[in-house]
Amino acid sequence: MTDGPLIVQSDKTLLLEVDHDRAEACRRAIAPFAELERAPEHVHTYRLTPLGLWNARAAGHDAEQVVDVLLEFSRYPVPHALLVDVAETMSRYGRLQLVQDPVHGLVLHALDAAVLAEVLRSKRTAGLVGARIDDTDVVVHPSERGTLKQALLKLGWPAEDLAGYVDGEAHAIDLDESGVSNPGPDGRPRPWQLRPYQAEAADGFWHGGSGVVVLPCGAGKTLVGAAAMARSQTTTLILVTNTVSARQWRDELIRRTSLTEDEIGEYSGARKEIRPVTIATYQVLTLRRKGAYPHLELLDARDWGLILYDEVHLLPAPIFRMTADLQARRRLGLTATLVREDGREDEVFSLIGPKRYDAPWKDIEAQGYIAPADCVEVRLTLPDRDRMTYATAEPEDKYRLAASAPGKIRVVEHLVRRHAGEPTLVIGQYIDQLEELAEDIGAPVITGATTVTERQRLFDAFRSGEVSTLVVSKVANFSIDLPEASVAIQVSGSFGSRQEEAQRLGRLLRPKGDGRTAHFYAVVARDTVDQDFAAHRQRFLAEQGYAYRIVDAEDLDQTPAA
Amino acid sequence: MSTYSEHLRARSDEQLVDLLLRRPDLAHPSPATLSSLAARATSRPSLDRALAQVDAGVLQVVEAVVVLDDDAGVRARTVVAAVGGGRGDGPLVRERLRIATELALLYPVAGGAGDPALRAAPGLAEALGPTVAGLSAVRSTVEVGRVSPAARAVLDALTWGPPVGRRPVDGPGADAAAELIAAGLVVEADGGRVVLPRDVALRLRNGRTHRGLSRPPVATDLPRRRPEVVAAESAAAAERAVRLVATLVDLWAAAPPAVLRAGGVGVRDLRRTAQQLAVSEAEAALLIELAAVGGLVRDDGEERPHYLPTAVADEWAAGELPERWAALATWWRHTTRWPALVGGRDDRGQVRPALGPELARPWAPRLRQQVLATAATLDPGSAPDAAAVRDLLGWQAPRAVPPLDAVQAVLDEAGVLGLLGAGALAGTGRAVARDADLPAALAADLPPAVDDLLLQGDLTGIVPGRPSAELDRLIAASAVVESRGGAVTIRFTPESVRVALDAGTTADDLLAELARHTRGGVPQPLEYLVRDAARRHGLLRGGSATSYVRTEDPALLAGVAEDPRLAGLGLVRLAPTVLAAQVPLIDLLAALRARGLAPVAETPDGRVLHTAPTVQRIPAARQRPQDRVDALDPRDRAATLVQVLRRGEAAVTTDARTGPRDRGTDDPGTALATLREAAADHAEVWLELVGPRGALERRRVRPLRVDGGRVRVMDTARDAEIVVAAHRVAGVTRLTAAEPEGVAP
Repeated sequence: MTDGPLIVQSDKTLLLEVDHDRAEACRRAIAPFAELERAPEHVHTYRLTPLGLWNARAAGHDAEQVVDVLLEFSRYPVPHALLVDVAETMSRYGRLQLVQDPVHGLVLHALDAAVLAEVLRSKRTAGLVGARIDDTDVVVHPSERGTLKQALLKLGWPAEDLAGYVDGEAHAIDLDESGVSNPGPDGRPRPWQLRPYQAEAADGFWHGGSGVVVLPCGAGKTLVGAAAMARSQTTTLILVTNTVSARQWRDELIRRTSLTEDEIGEYSGARKEIRPVTIATYQVLTLRRKGAYPHLELLDARDWGLILYDEVHLLPAPIFRMTADLQARRRLGLTATLVREDGREDEVFSLIGPKRYDAPWKDIEAQGYIAPADCVEVRLTLPDRDRMTYATAEPEDKYRLAASAPGKIRVVEHLVRRHAGEPTLVIGQYIDQLEELAEDIGAPVITGATTVTERQRLFDAFRSGEVSTLVVSKVANFSIDLPEASVAIQVSGSFGSRQEEAQRLGRLLRPKGDGRTAHFYAVVARDTVDQDFAAHRQRFLAEQGYAYRIVDAEDLDQTPAA
Repeated sequence: MSTYSEHLRARSDEQLVDLLLRRPDLAHPSPATLSSLAARATSRPSLDRALAQVDAGVLQVVEAVVVLDDDAGVRARTVVAAVGGGRGDGPLVRERLRIATELALLYPVAGGAGDPALRAAPGLAEALGPTVAGLSAVRSTVEVGRVSPAARAVLDALTWGPPVGRRPVDGPGADAAAELIAAGLVVEADGGRVVLPRDVALRLRNGRTHRGLSRPPVATDLPRRRPEVVAAESAAAAERAVRLVATLVDLWAAAPPAVLRAGGVGVRDLRRTAQQLAVSEAEAALLIELAAVGGLVRDDGEERPHYLPTAVADEWAAGELPERWAALATWWRHTTRWPALVGGRDDRGQVRPALGPELARPWAPRLRQQVLATAATLDPGSAPDAAAVRDLLGWQAPRAVPPLDAVQAVLDEAGVLGLLGAGALAGTGRAVARDADLPAALAADLPPAVDDLLLQGDLTGIVPGRPSAELDRLIAASAVVESRGGAVTIRFTPESVRVALDAGTTADDLLAELARHTRGGVPQPLEYLVRDAARRHGLLRGGSATSYVRTEDPALLAGVAEDPRLAGLGLVRLAPTVLAAQVPLIDLLAALRARGLAPVAETPDGRVLHTAPTVQRIPAARQRPQDRVDALDPRDRAATLVQVLRRGEAAVTTDARTGPRDRGTDDPGTALATLREAAADHAEVWLELVGPRGALERRRVRPLRVDGGRVRVMDTARDAEIVVAAHRVAGVTRLTAAEPEGVAP
């Protein structure tokens, strides 16, 4: 037994004792190949997965390094079978390569003829490849590059894509760090700089070719995208989740780069502009009319040199299929979490690329770039009358009944009063509950029915401090930029989605001007499914290292605001 | 010159005892005389068994003696040269010859104890098979002269055996074969084949019987494991095996599987058990078999029988981990059950069930011992695969090589039980191979127990090492284990806490218990979880009653409840309008009617069932055969037998009084042995035969060969070879040198 900080379990989890002297060194050493699964206060759990190990291979680490790291930091002898498995798994990556052949074009080249024979015999690769050139090479239809990579990953022989990228149409884009495009209120330029981790992320992506950058919400993913565009110097297609998000991207790009308004187009339900830099929504691309995708041609409208996917964990399945056709173009995915509720992490890996950069929230928080957060669950005991209604309700109505319990309004009122003057968001799922709440606390409400203009107006007012409290529905979840929100109160959410929790916490984690702590409240009805769902969501928070407290609604008056 | 049976007679008591110990089949059933002992020792089955236990080195010298035997016996230096031994190999070859002699495969015919001339035991050549050391039985006196290169190639191919080749029909090979046949260097045999005669082969081999001296194989370039890895993995596996068997017993206590009509556990029960234990079906079968071997579970013998845990299971479960493991290892080492057969199909195509009647294999304990002992001879840390182990076993007993899958099964099972760690023999396995102190061996490798629990805000906890017994019980009682290994990670859920509360713990006790094991205090979310669970625990109450009374009139019911004359009914007021009673409904109604009330039965059956689980136990099984210890030491037993043999021999000699005649026999087994012996010595015998009409005939013959129930003899009087069926032989008497030729006594 040595004194290492790491315990390697035979089920391929790695337990890292964080209070250990060598914990930080160990964390750095294992980060390239192990996925952080949860990071509560004492012991962080990492997991070795084939994807993680292949990510490491793609980043240039070999099995020997991985094994050495495990042996170096492990407190107990490392299970032999695990080491064998690591070596075996890692050796599978790159035995097949996609290369450009001067004669045959795109070719699947095998370093090991037997592997090629094995994958070609599989049904999954049928129709994706053309003529066999020799024992180790086979022609690949360029249009099937992505689908083939996907199939090979499923077969356990992930291919290394060395076929390179089309250059794309050149277009000058520079970061404007002098701040000329972003003058202060006094009209003078406000110089700024990429944060070190943003620069590292952009570099990591550029050297890797294509891939995914994982950064917490509020860590400035847009700037990583802008930096990547500046590296690429080409026309760029940016895919985002919704229109609001698209406008924010546009504004941010105008402020932070040499791009002007005329160079940036919006391709959404409202407008169909195609410019050197085009921002399109997932929704318009996946719009289906008579079984066809009418807006798909956008993808071929220009010779894009770079394609950016915002919130890659939300990428809808049809976009995946379209992306399979875009393998010759550089792709950058941006996300706060690789966790997909639908378990399609492997498609992100094969179609967009391996993870190129990852930094845990806590690290960036420690560097002062995102705000520390105080998470509190407020438990509300339902009055007997409501409990009876709840107990006898149909199962499908139970969540709604519990989530929109009338008692929550009083709790919200109380919390809003406590944080009076601080920018506060009240987030919920059910429109009638939100409207009632808005009326009660006298705050404007934003729902899906609110027009884009109205929404923009309210956001601007919120940003300027004119409005200090906003009641928002689901639409608030995605990619809206509320720089000064420092309190969030969640009254209902959609059935315990972990992603949603990450998003909501992300709303708060933008750095506060004065280093204030952000507050995140979840109001939960005790002894109902609401509490069960909350437990699921909070597990995610705790796993991310945010300890949360539980407070009884009745005790709220006595509890001091942390 | 002495015969084989004379040699046995001449052996000292000590030597005879050794022989009986080395070849136990000679003593079962006990032979009556030394002659019959000799007969048995030269019988085919006994020789086969004796050959099966010698290593390749001994087998080699035995083959050499068999090949070189020219009636006068073979001396050690001849054998050294024949097997290709070099200078300095003398002692090794002598030692091997000594072993073969001790086993009575070879016996001395002349010379002192220092350098005896050895002959092969009668029948040994036949037991070795048609080709011995790659030499055919065909004799020839042809000298090897000059032959064409093609013919030379054919000879080269046949020289070191096998000595039989297919004769090519055409081409240069055919010419070469024809040339060799013409020269008499090869002999034509059936089926278009040619045979290289023994003498020609020996000449081509320059008089050698073997290419080189057989030496024990050295297993090189086996994968190596570091000692701490081996120790850690074996200890972890041992701990796991004990935990799994304990879980199995608990599972079967809760849901006992039915016994199949033909015996054994059904496929579905096996699958269910495997799923619940989260192991493969093969592993589940092993665990089930072990539990049954140890008597932890057993057929309850009811009309519809089930397998149930026995009281032995409780005893076993109460022990410390090393002792419990030692019990498992001992059961495994000694059982004749062969769990690897489970799931396969028998001769009739039926799936063999776990605990089925057809899983016993008498050789199983010996094979396990051999595999472990072989692994113990390797360098520490070597992780041999089944093929490597089988190669080593193959040298140790070339006439009885176990099949690869059997060796694999032993290695797999040893891995499950923690005798191997990462494939290499661990201290635990070494202890089993040596029959040493097993609990101590495991205790030496177990990492120190940890009493610390790290509790975290996400309702998980981690024991950063092997949990102490107390901590383990706490974890098992109140949390769900998520992963085990160097550390144990657990998660608290409302259900797991509820189970703890069901078992009688209170929230305060549980929190205090957790706080005692954790350094940083119990995190608030966990405290809330426990308190929430406790708050909800017991909000619903259940109880048992035999009958009830209910009414719309609370006043009437109050009267009934308070009536002292109804106290015997055990009435309990559950609500103002409901009383529960502890007597059957019919008695309740009768009592109420006796008080002048007019109750009616509401439903035919208002009883509440007892839901409390009952722990089922049945008496332990009787001691199993392999647990019984034989009272007598095997050596004592053999020594006693030798005395009996000597007495039997003496009785025969004194009774007969007629000199050499008494050397004859009418015991069929001994008769064949005498014939075999005479054939080997080229001696003559009086043969009494049952003639075609049932009359006894007496002939003076020289036996040539005894094989397969037939005796080939040369009738010296008529100078003709005859073949006699063994069952027609009525008696055999060895002629002595003094006896005049051709005269019947």
